[in-house]
Amino acid sequence: MAAVPATRTLRWALAAIAGGLVLAAPFVVTDKYLLRILTFVGINLIMVAGLSLLFGYAGQISLGHAAFYGLGAYTSGFLAKLGVAWPLALVAGVAAAALGGLLLALPSLRLKGHYLAMATLGFGEIMLFFFTETEVITGGSNGLRGIPPAGLGPLVADTPQTKYLLVWAVACVVLLLAANVVRRRPGRALRAIHGSEMAAQACGIDTVRMKVQVFVISAALGGLSGVLYAHYVGFISPSTFTLHYSLVLVTMVALGGMGSLAGAVAGTVLLTMLPYADAIIPGLSRATVELLQDWESDIHGMVLILVMLFMPGGLAGWGRSFLARISVRRARSAGGDA
Amino acid sequence: MEASELLQLVIAGLKNGSIYALLALGFTIVYAATNVINFAQGEFYMLGGMLAVFAFSGLNVPLVAAVALAVVTVAGIGALFERLAIRPRKDADPMALIIITVGGSLVFASVARHLFGSDALPLPEFTPGPSFVFAGAAIERQTIWIWVIVTATVIGLTLLYNRTRLGRAMRACMENREAARLMGIDTARVVMVSFALAAALGALAGVAVTPLTSTRFDIGAGIAVKGFAAAILGGLGSPLAAVAGGLLLGLIEQAVIPFSSVLKDVVALAVLLLVLFVRPQGLFRRTRKEKV
Repeated sequence: MAAVPATRTLRWALAAIAGGLVLAAPFVVTDKYLLRILTFVGINLIMVAGLSLLFGYAGQISLGHAAFYGLGAYTSGFLAKLGVAWPLALVAGVAAAALGGLLLALPSLRLKGHYLAMATLGFGEIMLFFFTETEVITGGSNGLRGIPPAGLGPLVADTPQTKYLLVWAVACVVLLLAANVVRRRPGRALRAIHGSEMAAQACGIDTVRMKVQVFVISAALGGLSGVLYAHYVGFISPSTFTLHYSLVLVTMVALGGMGSLAGAVAGTVLLTMLPYADAIIPGLSRATVELLQDWESDIHGMVLILVMLFMPGGLAGWGRSFLARISVRRARSAGGDA
Repeated sequence: MEASELLQLVIAGLKNGSIYALLALGFTIVYAATNVINFAQGEFYMLGGMLAVFAFSGLNVPLVAAVALAVVTVAGIGALFERLAIRPRKDADPMALIIITVGGSLVFASVARHLFGSDALPLPEFTPGPSFVFAGAAIERQTIWIWVIVTATVIGLTLLYNRTRLGRAMRACMENREAARLMGIDTARVVMVSFALAAALGALAGVAVTPLTSTRFDIGAGIAVKGFAAAILGGLGSPLAAVAGGLLLGLIEQAVIPFSSVLKDVVALAVLLLVLFVRPQGLFRRTRKEKV
């Protein structure tokens, strides 16, 4: 029985260390390049938190989440350019993405597995088409330029440090909320749906409602991360909201391990940093970085295949067996006969 | 609209539709054997065109041989992909298999870019020459080839399914894989052959269309969506329904052109979503209830 508290303490300690590092980063990191990449990590985390709930806990897959990213980014960017205050633009962006998610989720309910995957892929491609063709709003393939930075009244996030803090503050709140959802009743219901939808239904879980809710939440989080992206970069164009981005997101969740939020975080950090490895590994040659960038798609594809074949639990599966081993050792050295 | 213009649209619709039909057949054959939607199906189409161009322009092989070489090679790649990436997890939940084929599609496209570059690559027509004119509408010679290939494929598949042991084994697996296995059918072999066949059909489509459109490393995903839309129209069951779905999709696309040529590209996507939402079992099939 000593095993459980030991693991829990370790988990809290890890979370506290991670939180401290996140908060300290903008004051310690002087390298603007690295700070920019870390900000992108935060933006991706918000998106991936939603996808982790959807994939891992509800057992649904989406190959089109770039669409919600785009819906959030374009809605908020367009409104902010018209002079709408950022908080309102943010709400509108998230609402647009959530509405898109609802419109897709309602008819997709009956679909599962590969059908749902194809429906989301098709939806993503249709939205990409609209991002490119509705030039009046989106600026077409030239994109939308001059989106003002996020801010409220005199408080404007216009330096790399403040932008970083804004993104990560949102990311931390999202991750905490997601972790709470996972551990309580909704999380258990979601896992039951993943296990067997019919059995879950028989236990009195409104599976349809549950799945729509999770899908809409993941779409809204996609929109939220899109809003932050648009106001962070200041320029958006259709080339960001492609199937390729949707697949990168899937890779992050799969590498981290389906059904583990902590794993998804690890997968996101690793894969977002991968093409910019020179920012954290000093002395990495330019040629190596270019090679990494050139082979990024191959790496993503191989990660997807190899993880599914050889470590379906992803990084989280590894982490779990590692923690279990530590707990067993602790219990033994404490004198208990394990 | 004049009759000749209408005829021209119908010809274009049946041409594109034939390509979609070949891809839809690939989806259908693999789905029948494994219950897997192979998201890498479009990459077989891309690889077919790419390898034919490489054999013809790079290795200076005669066009006929280049086409055959490309199709056979891609069939081998399909079989290998099944053996290495699908079979070890064949009993996994569908999500794992979807993700594996998605990963395969990323790798195939990316490796093709490393090998053949990112430019659009051309291939000459199988039999160069002026188009035929029929009732005021032009038919390119390559279009005739595409129709010949689809017709030959349908005849070949019908013979395979009805006249050969292997084909009967494949049909048995379609009906009920577990029962087929218990009756002594080598289901693992059926699955591998299905992947190889689907890959070959995808490659054949890619090779046939490359003289008209040229090919690039990144065209796989787009055509896969259209092929899947055609397959789902046909209901992912009978191969003939898949062909009908392909031709129908090609015609629907052309029907939109007089109203808006921009919208042509979303028609397949709209059809896909509409069929999935309204009639996921396809146009020609009755529903079956899932049992616990």
